[in-house]
Amino acid sequence: MLRINPTLVSNILSAQSLEELHPMVQGAIELEHSTIPPYLTALFSFKRGKGKEVRPIIESIVIEEMLHMTIASNILNALNGRPQIDKPAFVPNYKCPLPMGINVGFEVGLEKCSIDVVQNVFMEIEEPETILNINYAVKATDTYKTIGEFYGALAKKIDELAPDIMPGDPAKQVVANNYFPPDELFAIRTKQDAIAAIDIIVEQGEGTSTEPVDMYGEVAHYYRFKEIVMGKKLIKDPHADHGYSYSGAPVPFSNDDVWNIFPTTKVWMLPPGSEQWHRAQEFNYFYTMLLEGLHRTFNGEPTFLSNTMGLMYDVKLTGEKLCEMKFPGKDGFYVGPTFEYQKQPPQQM
Amino acid sequence: MSYFDRTHLVFSGDFLSDVSTVNNDPAHYNNATFKPEYQIPREQGSPIMNGWWNPVGGANFIFQNCNVQMVSMNDGNIKDDPTGDFVVGAFITGPSGRNTGKMVDLDPQEQGTSELWAIKFRLVTCANELLFEGDLKPTPFRDLQYRQQDGITSNGQPLGGVWTSVLTNVKWGERANISPFLQELKAKTKGNKLSINLNAYGYYYNHNDGRFAMGRVLGTIGPWYESDPDLFPACRRLYGIYNAGTDEKPKVYFGSTNFVVDQDWKSLRIDFGMSFPISNAVGTVSMTENLYLAVSKSSLSDGVATSEVFLLEHTFEMIGQVKYQTGDHWLNKTGGIMSFDVGPEHMSLLANHQLVLLHLNDDGDYQLVARESVDGYYLRADNFVLRMDADSTAAVTLYAYQYGKPLSNTNITVAMEAPTPCTPVSDKNPISYIPGINFPQDGIKFSPGATGDLNGKTSIGLLAQRIFKPRDYIDGQIYLFDYQFEGQEPDPAFGVESIYVHLRDYFPVPAQPKWEDIEETMIQFANLYPIMSKYIVDLADPHAVAARATILRFAFSQDINDPLYMPVTRDLSEGKRLTILKWLDNPIMPTGAPTTKQPPQKGCPPESLRAESVPTYNRLQKLVAAKQAQNINLDSTPKIFKK
Repeated sequence: MLRINPTLVSNILSAQSLEELHPMVQGAIELEHSTIPPYLTALFSFKRGKGKEVRPIIESIVIEEMLHMTIASNILNALNGRPQIDKPAFVPNYKCPLPMGINVGFEVGLEKCSIDVVQNVFMEIEEPETILNINYAVKATDTYKTIGEFYGALAKKIDELAPDIMPGDPAKQVVANNYFPPDELFAIRTKQDAIAAIDIIVEQGEGTSTEPVDMYGEVAHYYRFKEIVMGKKLIKDPHADHGYSYSGAPVPFSNDDVWNIFPTTKVWMLPPGSEQWHRAQEFNYFYTMLLEGLHRTFNGEPTFLSNTMGLMYDVKLTGEKLCEMKFPGKDGFYVGPTFEYQKQPPQQM
Repeated sequence: MSYFDRTHLVFSGDFLSDVSTVNNDPAHYNNATFKPEYQIPREQGSPIMNGWWNPVGGANFIFQNCNVQMVSMNDGNIKDDPTGDFVVGAFITGPSGRNTGKMVDLDPQEQGTSELWAIKFRLVTCANELLFEGDLKPTPFRDLQYRQQDGITSNGQPLGGVWTSVLTNVKWGERANISPFLQELKAKTKGNKLSINLNAYGYYYNHNDGRFAMGRVLGTIGPWYESDPDLFPACRRLYGIYNAGTDEKPKVYFGSTNFVVDQDWKSLRIDFGMSFPISNAVGTVSMTENLYLAVSKSSLSDGVATSEVFLLEHTFEMIGQVKYQTGDHWLNKTGGIMSFDVGPEHMSLLANHQLVLLHLNDDGDYQLVARESVDGYYLRADNFVLRMDADSTAAVTLYAYQYGKPLSNTNITVAMEAPTPCTPVSDKNPISYIPGINFPQDGIKFSPGATGDLNGKTSIGLLAQRIFKPRDYIDGQIYLFDYQFEGQEPDPAFGVESIYVHLRDYFPVPAQPKWEDIEETMIQFANLYPIMSKYIVDLADPHAVAARATILRFAFSQDINDPLYMPVTRDLSEGKRLTILKWLDNPIMPTGAPTTKQPPQKGCPPESLRAESVPTYNRLQKLVAAKQAQNINLDSTPKIFKK
C-alpha cells in the first residue's frame, strides 16, 4: 500500500483556506504522474508482438493515471492554483520513494515487466485501503495514511471551505472528451464537480469497499494488475466472495516476452557519444517536451493537449526502440527508458 | 543578399533525421509483391537491401547540439565569443511542448529534393530564455554535391546538400534586446521574416561512431529583404568543373558554391560551407592545397571533365588566397563563409566577368577548379517542388540574374520532360516492375515560356488535370519541368535545373466509404511505415484502425504544415485523405478477405512517347542515385588533384 505521510492528511484537515490546499493538490498531481514512468517502462519492455494479454492491462491503467493527473490539475485550477509540471523537481529521480510517501523502504524504479515487479511494486502502489478476498483488512494507523484517505480528506475539506461555484477560471479546465468520456473527465466548476472528480480517482484506483470494480463496473487498478500475477482475467463469479474470481481468460506472461532492460537506466550510465547515449537523450528531450506541453495545457491552454499527442507517441516510439538496444558494457542487458528532465535537444558532453 | 548579408549569424552542430526507408524503393509500394522482410533493416554492407537502413524511422528532424558559433556585424566586426555578444553559444532548439518537424521525400521516384516540414526554429539562451523563434518555410534540399574525401568509410553517404529558406512569424524574446547583434538583425530584416541557410553533410546511414541517422549542419541566418527569393539566395554561383572520379562515376568537388560581390563594402563573400571538401563526416579539413579566387578576363564555358584545365596567369586577376584551416574547427566555427576585400579595379572587372577558383599545383600552374556560371547567368525557380491535387493551380516563381544583378525582361522556356519507360522485373530489379514518370503528358497544363519583369522575376502557372492511377500502385505521378533562358544551352558545368511536381491521383470521395475504398492505401501505409504498424496501430487491420479512430482522425485532419499531419510523407491525394476521414467517422468493416491484387501494369507510357535517354546533363539525377548506392563514386580520394 502506498503509505502517505500522515501530516499531509492532517494539513488538509487543518486548512483554513483553499490556498492552503494548493500544495497538497500539486502533490497529488506529482504522485499521479510518478506512477506513469514505471508503468510505461514495463509496457515498453515488451518485445514486438509479445504480451498481447498483459500489455492492454498495463496500458489501460497508464491511461487512467494520465486521466487522474488531468483531474488533479483541473482541481488545482478550480481552486485557483497553478499546476507546476514543467520543472526538474517534477520528475522523480528513480529509483526513489514516490511523492507524498513516507520513506519506509518502498522505492520505485524503472524496470522491465515481471511478475515480481507487478506484484511487489505496482500492486503495492495501487493497493486499496481494504483488500477484498483477504481475511484481514489493512487499517490506516497513526503512523501512515492511505492515498484514499488523502483524497477523502481533500474532498471533505473542499466541501467545507469551497463556495458552491469554484473560484478558478473555468476556461482553464481541460475537457478532452475525444480521449476520455465526459462522465470521467469534466470541467470542475462546482464543489460537487470537485468531489465527484475525486471519487473517480479513488474508485478507479481502488474499487469500492465491497467490489473490485469502480462505479462504472471497471476493474480497479490493483485487481487489474493482479490479473497478471494470477494469469487469469478477473470475471464475475456468483459463487465467489464479493462476486468475482480470477477464473477468466488466460493472461500468460513469460520473462522471455520482455527485453532484459537494465533497471532504472540513466543517460550517465551510457558511454558518451554512443548511439544509445544519443537515443536516450532524445527520449529524455521528448519526455521533457511532453511535460512542457502538458504544463501549457494545464496553465490556460486546454486545447493544447492535442498537440502533445505527437510527443506521447514520440516517447513511446523512442522508449520502445531504446529497449531493443544492447546496453554497452553490460552483457545481456538492454537500455531502459530514462525518464529524465532534459530541456535542450541532445548535447555533446 | 539574404544569409550573405554582412549582418549574419553562424551556428553549427548536429541534426537527427530519422527518415523511414522502406519507401526508398518504389517497388515496395506494390502491395501484391510486398514481403515482410522489406520491413527488416539491411545488414550493413549486405547486397540484400530488405527495408534499407532505417525501416522503422519516424521522419523526425531535430537540431541537436547546435550552438551559435559567431556573429558578423554590419561594420564587419566578428564576435566569436560570448563576451563579445552573449548570443554566441546560444542553443538552437525545437518547439515548446510539441513535437518536432519532419523530413520527407517528394516521392519514391523523386528522392533528390527531400523537404523539411513543420520545423519550429527557436534560439534560446542556456537558461532556455527565448531570443527569437520562427517557422521554417518548407524547403527541399538542392545543390547536392560531393563533400567527403573518405567516400563512405564511416557514414555511408559522401554527399552534402543545402536547404535554404526563410523563418516566418518571427517572434523576438525580451533577452534579444540586450544582444547588439540581434538588435541589428531585428532592425534590418523585413516582413517579420529571417533568411536561413542550412548546409548539411556527413549523414550516417551506418551504425558507426554513435551517429546513426545523424548529420552535421552549418547554419547561417541573416535578414530577409522584400526582393529576395525565399528558397535560394540572390547571389552568384561557382560551378566545379574538375572531375576527380571517372566519367561513369564522377566526383566533382566544389560542385556549387554561392557568393556575392558587395559593391558598397568592396568585398566578396563566399559560402564554402556548402562545398568545401572534407576528409570525414564531421567536417575535418585535411587537404593542404593552395587555392585562390581570381577573376577571369575571358569568358569560360568549360564543362565537367576528368582532364585538367589550366589558366595562364595573364588571363586572370588574382583576388586572394583561400585561407582555410585544416582540422575540424574552421568549418564548424565559421560556417565556411569567407570574406575577401576587393580593390576598385577588380570590383569593376567582377561586374561583368567570371569568378574562378584556382588550384596552384606543384608545377606552379593554376588549375581551374570551379568557374562562375557562363556569362554570369543564373536562373532559378524558387518554389521548385510542388504537391498538387487534381483541378488545382500553382505558380512557380523564377528569378533571373546576371553577375548577381536582376536580369530584366528576359525570356525563359519551360518544358515537361519526356515520359520515362517502366522498368521490368529483372535481376537488378527483382521485386516489381517500376512505372515510368512524366505521363500522361497532358496531366499538367502549363505555359512553355514566360518573360521576366524589370526585376528579373516571373512566374509559370501550372494547371493540374485529373489523372487516374498512371503508376498503378504509386499514387499520382511525378512530372519534371526543365527551365532555362530562351535560346541558351544549359551550363555544361551544372546542367539543367527542374521543377518537380507530384500530381496526386484524382479520387472522388464516396458518399459512404467502405473499408475496400481505403484498403489499398492503408495496406500500403502498413507495409511502408512499420513505425506505425509495428509500434502503434496496424493500419492494414480495419478493426485496429477503428479502435484508434480518435487519434487517427485527429492526425489525418491536421494542416499540412503541422508536425502531426498524416500521412507524414504528405503525398496522399486529398480525395483519399478525406475518404479515410469519412471512413473513420463511420467505420464499415469489410465482409470478405483482403483484396490485394496484382496491379494491371499499365504504368508504362506508350513507346512513342518515351525519352530515348536523359536529354541533358543533370547533375541531380546522377547524384540522387546515391540513395540507391548506384552509379556513385564511393571510393576514398585522399588527394583531389593530381599534382
